[in-house]
Amino acid sequence: MSLKDALFTPEEQERLFDHTFLQREQLEEQYASLEQQHEAAAFGMWVFLATEVMFFGTLFISVYVYRAKSPEAVEAASVHLNWMIGGINTLVLLVSSLLMALAVHYAGHGDRRRVVRLLVGTALLGVLFLCLKGVEYYIDYVENLIPGWKFNTQEWMAPKSAGGEGLSEEQVGFVQIFLVLYWTMTGFHALHVTIGIVVVLIMAVLTARGHYSAKYYTPIDVTGLYWHFVDLVWIFLLPTLYLLGTHHLTGG
Amino acid sequence: MAPEQSVKSYVAVLIALVVLTFATVAFSFLPLPGAWHVASGMLVGALKASLVVLFFMHAIRSPRITWCVIAVSIFFIVILFSLTLADITTRSLLPYMPGH
Repeated sequence: MSLKDALFTPEEQERLFDHTFLQREQLEEQYASLEQQHEAAAFGMWVFLATEVMFFGTLFISVYVYRAKSPEAVEAASVHLNWMIGGINTLVLLVSSLLMALAVHYAGHGDRRRVVRLLVGTALLGVLFLCLKGVEYYIDYVENLIPGWKFNTQEWMAPKSAGGEGLSEEQVGFVQIFLVLYWTMTGFHALHVTIGIVVVLIMAVLTARGHYSAKYYTPIDVTGLYWHFVDLVWIFLLPTLYLLGTHHLTGG
Repeated sequence: MAPEQSVKSYVAVLIALVVLTFATVAFSFLPLPGAWHVASGMLVGALKASLVVLFFMHAIRSPRITWCVIAVSIFFIVILFSLTLADITTRSLLPYMPGH
């Protein structure tokens, strides 16, 4: 006996699950048309994304405020981050966004097979992004870029001739603030990617089970909006965290 | 929903996004003052974000209510950035005058 059967009678299951979850091809009574129903759902996601814009916006402005306060420190810290993994991860997310957009496209044609493949591809690229992020975090750990846990003030204060950055004690404080923002922003972004992967996979399973059709695929479309937004945040994270200073081809 | 985009157009958008990504990373190797890096990063970022919002998130064929949400988001993010930076970057222009 499944948990669902233990908790609900067949009549209740019919009312609670089958109608609300599986068969929304039918029009809900509060809407005038399927199109209006779809627009309402998409509108809800857009409003949620607007709140996300403000959430990430405050973190972005923090970076630029501290950059304005101490340009040398923030630029030096930015150059220490791994721009190569950051750049590759940008490409990974961009390609995943293409797959997601194509999944929505084919969902509109009712091409279930392609939709499932594209959604799984999107999720796999999301996983690849997280793996690369993990490698990057490990490199940051090895390079003493974790304030409060693994960070060496002397490395940053040593003169440039000795391989340091020649920063003052106050400037090293700004380096640490920048790095805390780096961990906070990439951490929250990774959390969003993780949630996205789970939702995209749920969409793949439901599509494979035949829950969506060319007539009704609103959840796939709305999931797409969320996934593209996560990509969009990373598009701004790349220049804001990794590209603030001048890189040099040899080392650094 | 409104008439849809072709698969080719989605691929074209991706190619544009990849080219812009290479451009923005390449720009960080030019020995320029930091302000130029910020300006170029934000400019290319805004271009890429526009492509994603317009085509991948298909805002271009979305109802007006979607455009209202986008406009309101941009409006508030511009307030957040412009007023904060106007404060932070001009504080040192005024002399310190305690008691006034």
